[in-house]
Amino acid sequence: MITKFITSVSTTFSPFNARSGKTARSFLALLPPNARQNMKIDVKMLPRAAPSTSSNSAKPEPAAVLLLGFKDGKQMSLDLEKLKIKDVQEEVDRHSRLLGRQEELTGN
Amino acid sequence: MPPRLRLRPEHLRTRIPQQRPSHQQCRYASLATATTPAPPIEQTIHSSPLIARYPPTQPPSYKPPEFRKSQLHRQYASLLRSSPLMLLFQHNNLRSVEWVGIRRELAAALRKVDESLAADGRPDYFGDGVKLQIIQKGIFPSALKVVEFYHPEQQPQAPVHHPTDPATATSATIPDTLAASDDTRLTHGLSRTAHEVAEANRRNKKLKHGLEPLLSGPLVLVTFPTVSPRHLKAVFEILAPNKEFPAPKRKANPGYHEPAVQSGLQKLMMLGARVEGKVFDMEGARWVGSIEGGLDGLRAQLVAMLQGVGAGITNTLESAGKSLYFTMEGRRSILEDEQKAQAGEAPKEG
Repeated sequence: MITKFITSVSTTFSPFNARSGKTARSFLALLPPNARQNMKIDVKMLPRAAPSTSSNSAKPEPAAVLLLGFKDGKQMSLDLEKLKIKDVQEEVDRHSRLLGRQEELTGN
Repeated sequence: MPPRLRLRPEHLRTRIPQQRPSHQQCRYASLATATTPAPPIEQTIHSSPLIARYPPTQPPSYKPPEFRKSQLHRQYASLLRSSPLMLLFQHNNLRSVEWVGIRRELAAALRKVDESLAADGRPDYFGDGVKLQIIQKGIFPSALKVVEFYHPEQQPQAPVHHPTDPATATSATIPDTLAASDDTRLTHGLSRTAHEVAEANRRNKKLKHGLEPLLSGPLVLVTFPTVSPRHLKAVFEILAPNKEFPAPKRKANPGYHEPAVQSGLQKLMMLGARVEGKVFDMEGARWVGSIEGGLDGLRAQLVAMLQGVGAGITNTLESAGKSLYFTMEGRRSILEDEQKAQAGEAPKEG
């Protein structure tokens, strides 16, 4: 994954959710060791939701989201309930490649 | 050119057999006449007990024991059995200097807890038993399944023909005790039966230990040899500080505020905890850490609560009796008054 052009990462997830929690954690593990010097990272972890019964079905678990900011100012909001880590990587790489090409053309 | 074989001249002489001293001859003769002792009577009645062809500490394993995987599996199973309290963290690309700093700060904080416990005169200081260990996420779930779902002591014992029992007059073949991993009598964590239990559990989706969603990605375990909220609190203050568990101040502990340690701690995420076989999330783990005085404190709270309940019950039961007593007394006094009044009126009439 190209992390060079990401400037901010903000995510909210529950680690006990087998689907979205895993994707979010995998994404955070893909960031390089010096990520916190180059980008703003804000991670919020939710407590484990009570098992869904008829009584508390009115209060659903808040959706897990991943908000990314890029160097050109683009904001990317990814829904972790639907996307897997491969899809997230694809989305990030598609925009990062574009930025990389622009940078090459301007000669920086 | 000197000879290649260096022989001294006396070696080249032919040896003349010498007459042996007479006392040696006598000794040979005495040995020749010695007889082997008769075998003990037990040996002629019973067959000799079977000898296990492997050391008792190394029963044969189902998977090849020389693999690192097998040894890690054994190590994780023993870690899970011996640590009732463990915290699960995710580590996101920490550098080795950051690990070194975090381990150093953790050890220092635990040593401080131990010193304060020793000063209080309590014997439960074990801070050096708290370990920070990176785990392999492929092996650890399997070991956890074996620990959670494999209980050999609950399974029926295989019938064994005891060959040393004289009542069994049988010529049946005795199961061999060679190092064969498919021996059903082997019940250790690396045995075939344990492996089959873990495999069956992998296919059975209903049976869950609760940690499944957490067991992915880079994981690190903090294991405690006993459930001690005081040590847990110290670990929280270092690894996952928040309002409830404040990190040490810069003046009190300047090493903690070094950039290497701080950047490492930012990349550690606490996921959950496993306390006495039950799974807790972050809030639950913090609650365990916030219990004042540990298990003794909890027991004191329970005793106080029960005492309060007892006093309440006696009050309630007494109050029913008391109110009845007061009602009856009131009624009696009323009746007495009426009788007096009637007695007073009657003589006047009569």
